[in-house]
Amino acid sequence: MQPEGNWLLRAPSLRAKQVLLAKIQDEAGHGLYLYSVAETLGISRAEMVEQLHNQEAKYSSIFNYPTLTWADMGAVGWLVDGAAIVNQVSLQRTSYGPYSRGMVRICKEESFHQRQGYEIMVQMAFGTPEQKEMAQDALNRFWEPALMMFGPHDADSVHKNQSMDWKIKRESNDHLRQRFIDRTVPQAEYLGLTIPDVNLKLDPSTGSYTHSPFNWDEFWNVVNGNGPCNQERLDHHKKAHYDNAWVREAAAAYAEKVETSVA
Amino acid sequence: MNFELKNNESKFLIRLADTATILGQRLAEMCSKAPFLEEDIALSNISLDLFGRAEELYKIICTLENADYTPDDLVFRRNERQYFNLKLVEQPNEDFAWVIARQYMHDVYATAVYTQLSESSNSELAGLANKVLKEVKYSHLHSKDWMDRLGLGTEESNSRLQLAIDHLMKYVEEIFAWDDLDRKQLIDCDKITSAWENEINQTLADCNIERKTIQPLSMRDYRDGFHSEHIGHLLSIMQYLPRAYPDAKW
Repeated sequence: MQPEGNWLLRAPSLRAKQVLLAKIQDEAGHGLYLYSVAETLGISRAEMVEQLHNQEAKYSSIFNYPTLTWADMGAVGWLVDGAAIVNQVSLQRTSYGPYSRGMVRICKEESFHQRQGYEIMVQMAFGTPEQKEMAQDALNRFWEPALMMFGPHDADSVHKNQSMDWKIKRESNDHLRQRFIDRTVPQAEYLGLTIPDVNLKLDPSTGSYTHSPFNWDEFWNVVNGNGPCNQERLDHHKKAHYDNAWVREAAAAYAEKVETSVA
Repeated sequence: MNFELKNNESKFLIRLADTATILGQRLAEMCSKAPFLEEDIALSNISLDLFGRAEELYKIICTLENADYTPDDLVFRRNERQYFNLKLVEQPNEDFAWVIARQYMHDVYATAVYTQLSESSNSELAGLANKVLKEVKYSHLHSKDWMDRLGLGTEESNSRLQLAIDHLMKYVEEIFAWDDLDRKQLIDCDKITSAWENEINQTLADCNIERKTIQPLSMRDYRDGFHSEHIGHLLSIMQYLPRAYPDAKW
């Protein structure tokens, strides 16, 4: 919610604002679905929020990058939601029922987000020279972080074997990443934008694109808390949570009074 | 761009449209800052309703004016003195009690106003008002529930709500200083005033909040484009992109 909330107040048209509001609302809803899924395994939401604040729980590293221009709303929808869908479509067949059912609903909404993001990219890429420049800049900044959303290479993935054995995860990181690249490169070509990888080439024998090695040092550095916005994201969440503790206390106290008076 | 309105109905409707836009923007500021996730979604959802409502009202205005500008031009290219929203809705989100008190005061007003507009002879406006009433019903339920929780919850929540009400009540007087345009477009303005007064007084009494006497204020009327200083900051953020890139299409 935070990277996109950053542009909500500055969305440049009534339509753009409504689309972004609806999207962020969807994302908050996805948070709710998944907290509920985790609760079925015996942990409360309060405990998970505490784990988030203590940095015991991780969230997707991509959200630790700043959203600097309006084109980032396009790039986030197109690339970040696009990468998320590839992963989540596969997870619709995960072996844990509540997770799978959550993913079915999430995928339906994510596909809107991706198309809405791409729509912004189209407006920007075919707009004024300044807009096109913003679009290219956003692609430059989000391309590699989006690819790294799929996680480490299969050979380095810590949880891979158990997750695959239990059929929680259905396809490997590298396999999903390649599918995303192959799907996304032609979309960038349509926009007239350049993927920021000089080694990106179509291999005619496989029909897939080869690419440069990723900067995994940066990836792990961001995962380990040293990205551009890790501290800000966490501080923002904590501030909203603790500044509003009095509201939750009031709601609980009121509920207790009502319950007592009914009893 | 010349935004001077000629049609009396559109001069009246822009007050409602601007009120919806500004309140929508204030609520959008709450995104990722609510006390918990469900409440975050609720506030975003009400904000979304308000922007949708504003857009439809601006469309009616553009048609009535036979305008060469669009709803987006009205939102993103008018300056402070060309905005005609209630001062109440531009007041900041000091804390959650302010958000709720402002919303509740607005929702009671909006319920009464749109109830009368649902009988408008302008069928498009009447249709829109009926749709708005469905949305306001939920927003009203939501804000009223929170008035009860905050007023009757804890000592702290009660005192925060009291502070919010004390401040926001200053901006009520102008709402009911009806002018000829209001009286022409609404069926019975005095009925709106009394409906608002009755409900607000009852709710405040029920949730243990005092309504203090306020001396008449020389604040000047929102109907003439007068504001608190908050409006300029809000507009400068909201209008940044279309103002910075006037030739761009978004």
